[in-house]
Amino acid sequence: MAAIIQKLNLQKTADKTGKPVSYYIGLVIRYLVLFAIGLILFSPFILAFLGTFKTDAEIIAYPPKFLPLHWLWENWAKNWHTDIGRGGNFPRWLFNTAFLSVTVAGLEVIFCSLAAYAFARMKFPGRDLVFSFMLATMMIPGAVTLIPSYVLMSKLKLINSFFSLIIPGAVSAGGIFMLTQFFKSVPQELVEAAHMDGASHLQIYKDIILPLSRPALLTILILQFQGMWNSFLAPLLYLNSADKMVLNVALSIFQQTYKAQWNLTLVGAMFNAFPVLIIFFIFSKYYIEGISYTGVKG
Amino acid sequence: MQKKVDSVQSQRTIAAIISFLLIFIFLMVIAVVNAPTMGGPKVMASSKTYLAEVKRTALPFLGVVGIGALAIGFVVARMVYRVWPNKKNRMTMLAAYGFLAPYLIVTLVFTVGVILFALYISFNNYDIFTPPQWVGLANYLKAFDGFVDPTQKDFIQSLYNVFWYSIIVIPLQTSIAILLAVLVNAPIRMKRFFRTVFYAPSVTSSVVITLIFMWFYLKTGYINFFISKFFGLFGITWQNVLWLGDPRGLIQLIVTALGGNIPSTQWYLRGPSIAWMAIMFQNIFTTAPTFMIMFLAAMQDINPTLYEAAAIDGASNWHKFWKITLPLLRPIILLVVVLGTIGTLQVFDQVYLATSGGPLGTSLTPVYLTFREAMGQQGPIRMGYAAALAFILAIIIFCFTYLQRRFIERGTELY
Repeated sequence: MAAIIQKLNLQKTADKTGKPVSYYIGLVIRYLVLFAIGLILFSPFILAFLGTFKTDAEIIAYPPKFLPLHWLWENWAKNWHTDIGRGGNFPRWLFNTAFLSVTVAGLEVIFCSLAAYAFARMKFPGRDLVFSFMLATMMIPGAVTLIPSYVLMSKLKLINSFFSLIIPGAVSAGGIFMLTQFFKSVPQELVEAAHMDGASHLQIYKDIILPLSRPALLTILILQFQGMWNSFLAPLLYLNSADKMVLNVALSIFQQTYKAQWNLTLVGAMFNAFPVLIIFFIFSKYYIEGISYTGVKG
Repeated sequence: MQKKVDSVQSQRTIAAIISFLLIFIFLMVIAVVNAPTMGGPKVMASSKTYLAEVKRTALPFLGVVGIGALAIGFVVARMVYRVWPNKKNRMTMLAAYGFLAPYLIVTLVFTVGVILFALYISFNNYDIFTPPQWVGLANYLKAFDGFVDPTQKDFIQSLYNVFWYSIIVIPLQTSIAILLAVLVNAPIRMKRFFRTVFYAPSVTSSVVITLIFMWFYLKTGYINFFISKFFGLFGITWQNVLWLGDPRGLIQLIVTALGGNIPSTQWYLRGPSIAWMAIMFQNIFTTAPTFMIMFLAAMQDINPTLYEAAAIDGASNWHKFWKITLPLLRPIILLVVVLGTIGTLQVFDQVYLATSGGPLGTSLTPVYLTFREAMGQQGPIRMGYAAALAFILAIIIFCFTYLQRRFIERGTELY
């Protein structure tokens, strides 16, 4: 009760400060604009989601109907039971994608933070040299290493092995750069005090730096998870046997096999999009911090 | 005392020599693994047959890398020699390189080694199954054969395509991103909801977005439907377009409408094709929100007192935007333009899925071409040629980012 009265009082004072009517009109217009842009940007997902329930004929009919005539839930089941033989089935691809994304993101956090600690908190000969070397490697366009990497992978017999994506994915210059900047901002006194107490570098890294950098580590984790989940060209090159494919590669095959059956392809697309969208919804703050910090997606 | 100094002296010499050898051997192992050899099950059967093959075909490659490895080994040995007498420094260096080891090993093998390999084979004809043949600059020159031989126009055309792509996509995505950021940059409720909705196209995989757009772009798809509805408002009937399969160029359409004609031999006058512009539209749709995030973050860093001062002076919102927001955003604009250039010059996913470079090569891109040549998807496997194309592309990207940096930074100095 008291809370309501307080609220009413607050409202009164707000009215007393006298926001002009034009302020409220501006507010309404702003939200309308926001909703309109949001609707346009989200429309592919809405239309595709509705499309997954349409029949084979309906999905390519003209003029397209917004809502499906009959809601065909079977499309989702049919897609889930896709099996192209030789161990290639939909749950398997989903598992491959999730496994790779989690592994790569996890390893990246460990190895990048180790390297970043050395750059940010240790003094040793060659540090600036190695750091500038790292910055230089960030400038190399991915297209250049693409073909020779494929040759190297086949020499190491890593084609159709998850290691072909896990090993190169386990470190990234962008991640190290970002964490280095973050670790530098940890107060020097804390680290020095630990040094006085005789703590080793590994202890300082583990007990002081890592706990204090949880948001930055989480950012790397999310960005890398999403980057691996969405990557296409590398898995297309390295993982092409039916049981090792990731969802993105499988989807491109769906599209070629199902041809006009866009409803089934779209179900696959939804299965691919939802996990990332849900994770983004939960961790959007960290994701945005990461993007605005490094300017690099994935 | 003298004895102790001597033992330290000999210790540091031994340590330097050992570290030199370790570095040299490590780099040479990377070189051997990356060496351009014949592939195939026979050669790859055991390390013995592989090494024999390396000896037969890749000795010049190893020689060149060996000189570099000697130099790096020397630098490292000197560092070790310097830090050795002080125990604390010595341990710190050991720990630091221990921390860096995973990064250094992976990067040296999968980036540096791989680039050396690519550089070497770009001067060779190489199809994985036979030993590389030295051809000098032939691969680089062949890329530009299109200027004289119209049947070899693929690479020239791919550059032509990405040129149009960059000059249309980059200004549009940057300005739309700024516009969106201005609209959103105000305290709003349901921030998380709007964020998720706004960034949905850029956080989901490009494969998903491309597939959805391929469906939209069908002759019976939503894009044709919405356009026909829109034109219907003005009583105009709209002829449905096969978006991703239409090779007609923008300039060609204009010239045809004016009664002219551009023959197919002069493809370079036709401008970006309808199919290519459809892919551009999709790309702007997905990248603009990503760049908006960056602008938004930068706008929130702008000191609010600047706006307050401007308001006291009676500046309108319009003036505030042009005189305060935009000048202060310049560094981010530079970053977005540079990232945009790097991205647009490397388009692949959309082309691979939606058009495979067609129709009539109007959506070929350098990266797609590299992929096609290296995988032998059209004709024989031409690794050397593919590597040469990739290096030409890299040089173009470097030049553009350098020029943009110079150009835009000079613009900033004026303020």
